[in-house]
Amino acid sequence: MESQLLIQALVNGIMLGMVYVLVALGLTLVFSIMEVINFAHGEFYMLGGYTAYYLIAQLGLNYFLTIAAAVVVVGFLGWMIEKLLFRPFRKDLLGAFIVSLGLVWVLQSAAMLAFGSLEKSVPSPFRGVLKVLGIYFSLERLIVTVTAIVLVAALYLFIQFSREGRAMRAVAQDSDAAALQGINVARISSLAFAVGAGLAATAGVLIAPLFFVSPFIGDLPIVKAFIIIILGGMGSIPGALLGGLILGLAEGVGSIFLSIPAVNLLGFVIVMAVLLVRPRGLLGHA
Amino acid sequence: MLSVKGLRVHYGKVEALKEVSLEVGKGEIVALVGANGAGKTTSLRAISGLKTPTEGEIWFEGRRIDRLPPHAIVRVGIGHVPEGRRLFPHMTVLENLKAGAYLRANGDSVRKDLERAFEQFPVLKARNRQKAGTLSGGEQQMLTIARALMGRPRLLLLDEPSLGLAPLVVASIASIIKEINGEGVSIVLVEQNARMALRLASRAYVLETGRVALEGPSGALLADEHVKKVYLGG
Ligand SMILES: Nc1ncnc2c1ncn2[C@@H]1O[C@H](COP(=O)(O)OP(=O)(O)O)[C@@H](O)[C@H]1O
Ligand SMILES: [Mg+2]
Repeated sequence: MESQLLIQALVNGIMLGMVYVLVALGLTLVFSIMEVINFAHGEFYMLGGYTAYYLIAQLGLNYFLTIAAAVVVVGFLGWMIEKLLFRPFRKDLLGAFIVSLGLVWVLQSAAMLAFGSLEKSVPSPFRGVLKVLGIYFSLERLIVTVTAIVLVAALYLFIQFSREGRAMRAVAQDSDAAALQGINVARISSLAFAVGAGLAATAGVLIAPLFFVSPFIGDLPIVKAFIIIILGGMGSIPGALLGGLILGLAEGVGSIFLSIPAVNLLGFVIVMAVLLVRPRGLLGHA
Repeated sequence: MLSVKGLRVHYGKVEALKEVSLEVGKGEIVALVGANGAGKTTSLRAISGLKTPTEGEIWFEGRRIDRLPPHAIVRVGIGHVPEGRRLFPHMTVLENLKAGAYLRANGDSVRKDLERAFEQFPVLKARNRQKAGTLSGGEQQMLTIARALMGRPRLLLLDEPSLGLAPLVVASIASIIKEINGEGVSIVLVEQNARMALRLASRAYVLETGRVALEGPSGALLADEHVKKVYLGG
């Protein structure tokens, strides 16, 4: 029984970690390309949650089609937000910080007006449990984990092997040199915002049936994502994956022994410990 | 082919270029020499759109380009090998070359040009899966030039390609520049190594504190007393 508890905590931790990673990837991608942090990134996750509520709970749409819809709609919103709000603040950390705080407020208020401030619940599309080697796993949590892993892998392949992915890496490494190869840096920035927003929205859809949806659910994942990218190294995609898994596992196992507030502090403790030894994060470049 | 008229460029309040005018004809190598801080790099950055001029006009093949963004200037046929090489250090040699061909749609002709690049720069072929940041200075310079050529430019801007390199490597860079020019690519060569630049170029401009102080055929400048004293070490 003891080991059953521990294994389930680990599996839960991996699921949570992968969902955090989906949010963190956009944050780190945008940082690597524009050198700004968008604190309103959690709002893309929140909008993903509402997409799940309206499409799954209200219209009864298929789970995976809902994910696709969230990627398209919230991705487009991310594209427009970069174009209209963040473009003038490229490489201006402070200016972008102020813009993004304003955006948090605007998007949360808009969500309150449009969707109401009551918590909404989304029915679980996958009921049942899976028994493997005598241990029970929730089917839903497995599907969330696998979907997240597939998306992280897809992003990796896109960045590593596609023409636009290579352009993103080029801009991240030297934006002037990238422009001199004919890469439209502004368009690549929009693309990074769109991809990041789409991934965060997917995380919102995945998690919606497990928790509930409200205008403020983006606040927690943005903090987790921020912890993860500092832990893994700002701008590093493998770093975000590693940081997310560490945080998820620590929280999963921690939740057996600790209270919820203590679990939420765990991430900060890990980050501070890592930064003391390695100021650029686990996989960050100097 | 390229015509720069009355260029003025500011960095904030600092006036880096006061009045620069220059012409590059088709098939020419034109040198731009001058002391550190004279405005050579700024001139090239203005031509390739990385720095927006305050005043003046830049024309390329009959088209005004001084308000175009850099990626659009690559598209009209100008390649720029920037000062300090500026490779993508965490990308492989091959990926750097592919980045140079970013705008080209035809996969077959890009593949042919990759092969050509590897013929022209055999060191790059041997190291094509290596990260660009791990190459030696000379290899990095070769890669920066090869990367720019992957965009098939008709005009190539070279900013201090010999900087910090051993004499033997400088000599091979010089012969590569001649080779590229021999294939019909016009070249603007910026150098502090004035002797090398004047030997390669047919004409040259001498920049002093943001202005063209002297211009003329390289032979005449090599014989000029002022140039000899200030730029050729007596
Ligand atoms: N990024 C910059 N910010 C402020 N001033 C600059 C910048 N780049 C160059 N300058 C100034 O512009 C002038 C011309 O510099 P530059 O074009 O780099 O000269 P060169 O390439 O001939 O050495 C110098 O006075 C330099 O200090
Ligand atoms: Mg210079």
